[in-house]
Amino acid sequence: MNEELILQHGLTLDEFQVIRKYLNRDLSIEELGIFSAMWNEHCCYKTSKKWLKKLPTDNEIVIQGPGENAGVIDLQDNDGIAFKIESHNHPSYIEPFNGSATGVGGILRDIFTMGARPIATLDSIRFGLIETEKTKYLLNGVVHGIGHYGNCIGIPNIGGECEFETTYDFNNLVNAMAVGHVQKDKIFYSKPKSIGGLIVYIGSKTGKDGIHGASMASDVFSEEDEDEKRPSVQVGDPFMEKLLMEGCLELMSSGLIESMQDMGAAGITSSSVEMASKGNVGVYINLDKVPLRQPLSAYEILLSESQERMLAVIDKKNNHKVREILQKWQIDYEVIGEITDTKRVVFESNNKKVVDLPVEIIVDDAPEYDREFYIPRKRKNKDFDFSKIKLEDMIINLLTNLNYLDKSWVFDQYDSTVMGDTIREPGQSSGIVKIHGTQKVIGASTDCNPLYIRINPYEGMKYTVAESYRNLIACNINPLAITNNLNFASPLDPNIMGELVLSINGLKTAAIKFNTPIVSGNVSLYNQTNEIPIKPTPVIGMVGSNMDLNKINTNKFCEIGNKILILGKQLTKNFSPYLLQDQKIAFNICEFNDLEVLDLDFEKKIANCVLELSDLKCIMSCNDISRGGIFSALLKMQYKDMGFRVKVPDPIDLFCEYSAGYVIEIRSKDFEEVTSFLTKKGAEYHEIGEIIKEGIEINSKKFDYFDIMNKYRNDFEKIIS
Amino acid sequence: MSFKSAVITFPGSNCDRDALCYLKDLTKGEVHNIWHEETSLPKVDLVILPGGFSFGDYLRSGAMASKSKIIDEVVKHANDNRYLLGICNGFQILTEIGLLEGALIRNKKLKFLGKNCFIKKKFKNNFNLSIKDNQILQIPVAHNEGNFYCDTETLNLLKNNEQIAFEYCKGEFSNTEENINGSIEAIAGITNKKKNVLGMMPHPERAYSDFHQSQDGRLIIESLIS
Repeated sequence: MNEELILQHGLTLDEFQVIRKYLNRDLSIEELGIFSAMWNEHCCYKTSKKWLKKLPTDNEIVIQGPGENAGVIDLQDNDGIAFKIESHNHPSYIEPFNGSATGVGGILRDIFTMGARPIATLDSIRFGLIETEKTKYLLNGVVHGIGHYGNCIGIPNIGGECEFETTYDFNNLVNAMAVGHVQKDKIFYSKPKSIGGLIVYIGSKTGKDGIHGASMASDVFSEEDEDEKRPSVQVGDPFMEKLLMEGCLELMSSGLIESMQDMGAAGITSSSVEMASKGNVGVYINLDKVPLRQPLSAYEILLSESQERMLAVIDKKNNHKVREILQKWQIDYEVIGEITDTKRVVFESNNKKVVDLPVEIIVDDAPEYDREFYIPRKRKNKDFDFSKIKLEDMIINLLTNLNYLDKSWVFDQYDSTVMGDTIREPGQSSGIVKIHGTQKVIGASTDCNPLYIRINPYEGMKYTVAESYRNLIACNINPLAITNNLNFASPLDPNIMGELVLSINGLKTAAIKFNTPIVSGNVSLYNQTNEIPIKPTPVIGMVGSNMDLNKINTNKFCEIGNKILILGKQLTKNFSPYLLQDQKIAFNICEFNDLEVLDLDFEKKIANCVLELSDLKCIMSCNDISRGGIFSALLKMQYKDMGFRVKVPDPIDLFCEYSAGYVIEIRSKDFEEVTSFLTKKGAEYHEIGEIIKEGIEINSKKFDYFDIMNKYRNDFEKIIS
Repeated sequence: MSFKSAVITFPGSNCDRDALCYLKDLTKGEVHNIWHEETSLPKVDLVILPGGFSFGDYLRSGAMASKSKIIDEVVKHANDNRYLLGICNGFQILTEIGLLEGALIRNKKLKFLGKNCFIKKKFKNNFNLSIKDNQILQIPVAHNEGNFYCDTETLNLLKNNEQIAFEYCKGEFSNTEENINGSIEAIAGITNKKKNVLGMMPHPERAYSDFHQSQDGRLIIESLIS
């Protein structure tokens, strides 16, 4: 086999030699395609596996950890929660609308493949500087695509993040997360149960779209690639997915399915190989039986990533019943093969075996690398010059920065109330939905602090996990578990590899401390174009619960006259990275001081205070303090034309970042009870002011409430148009 | 006498469950879920055509659903002087069937709009009896094609016959819009001439439970039951 062909398939020559030696024969082109699909970074985690293994993935509530289509946790009684986050970065850059739409479609399939009905989605999206037409085009396309898919299928979008930063100019990130509700006794896995079970194909016909999508996602980009790679982007049909979802859920609740696997990245290849590997069995598939949209070669069928397709295993005797149900939903259905005892993957086309490989070589012998990595040098701390900066400028700097403005322009394009169970919509610290027919609620938040992680990957990652944690705590949601999406540039650069390794370590430390295991996730590497790497962006999706929907907090001001208290510890102005960056005091990454070590025990202590006070109904509203400090937190809390009057020693204090930082609103009559509670717990607090009508007042200086609020609410749309 | 109702499900409907819960919780009576391929409807007081993307909204929103088998029965139900409510996609289907005037075209900003909106009643009918004049209701919308349009002649007809049930309005606080999607005369919902068929873009079935942001959606069912 010629070298060029091997390299085109994304395999190194060394990797090819391993295969060649094992098989002791030449490979068919279809077999090469299979290795290309299964041995790339996206499918086999060859760079990250070594480090991901160290993550905590289990505790008393984990029903299913990583390795299945989604993780599942126990929510008492017969309720389970399935959730996962996944990236669709490269496709969304090449074709933003379809790339992001199919990202949503893919993650929803991961959820209902487990037998869970999706009940919420969130999206973490990042773009370059808005000044370029390209970014405007990408933002519009991505938001439209996410909305188009989720709205049509009818799953509420309850939150996420949307940030802008120059390292994403040529590598926007689109990470979609979905959460589903499953009955614990009806969870479905990809492991087939019996030899002789029929392998059935359910869903859309197979076409040419997405061929080599997974290997594209594992490659670096250059700008010229864009047009050439566009045909590798899948095209989504949310209506078909809605039918597929209803059809599959009906099949599963009728007990007609043994196991199921969605055809996502690397299509029929990956789904069938995984089935065989999980069950320690073999698969035989006749490719001539696969429903096709257009004439395709065996090679193309194997690698197509056409959307809205499922592979399932059923007992022969149920064939007729399955067909009947799927006919009602107008879904294509075909028996295409069976589970064998050979432990081999066999694909046949035109009466010829085009693929005949032991499962072992594809899965167990997949490469795993221990790549070289560097640990960042220790930073020298220094004091910055804040003397020239005035309060007015600081406010203007926030109100002219997209990252601080109200993102309604994004969220309003998503349906966030469909299914009738939404309690907190996007734009709050966490999205919250009710478990249908119960009093239980699920909260979810996605977060990442790339700047922190670039400064100090280990500590920065702890801050990122803590931010998700605080987002849930602020709503009185108990954090339970994590899904992660590790977006990095090329791991072949030891500096980038160092960021990956250290941030995984930071994730591990924080997840153990918070008792929030990682139950699912995704890795997206090679996010760099023209040799510009993205900032390290390991996104956390955290899920939590409260068993009583009446106990959750709002993030919005409740009543004029109520007091505003601050909990937590200020990072001080020289140690608040976003303050330094966004107030234009530090420009270059090497200027920043190191991060303060985050005390996770302190995080837990303050969090427990917030939870207890919430249960005592002493907290009227609460928000966490993150980028933009107290000021930004207060802006987000404004509601029904209520503003705030605050007094602080130095106005800069209002813009500093925090550890364990929360703004809480309490009634005057509860002041004694709250403060003595906090004192007893040894939790420091600061009373900084009160809620007033239509006003913003800082250290007796009055600002025009409506001017600030108009900018905060409406300038996002102006800037991006 | 208990209030009986039904919700029609088309392929692609995604508010059918929400509408079923809305009816079950508020009417306390029998509620049926009818698949679009059925050819008979039970005798009920109210039929809801729910929101969603029936048949993917391919061709034109509501166009394919308006040709479903069950539609003959839905029309009969309406001609029998019983209540028929189309919400969002259901409203679009009603205009496609021809039970309601006008059409729903794309929102003025050409973007999907999912947010709280504020409406008040315009002319009295049995769907809004329990709503006070000038009472502002907060109810979510979620649509791409909710911009109501009709020609001047039809508009005059709608006014003269008092067929405009709801119009969009500003809320109590700042930063709310008069007319969120560009509908002609800010129309949010209309009835037929006999006023037993209502189509509206806002989703009352997402604003009735104690945990919802607003409970104003109850008023429509309360009006019908009273």
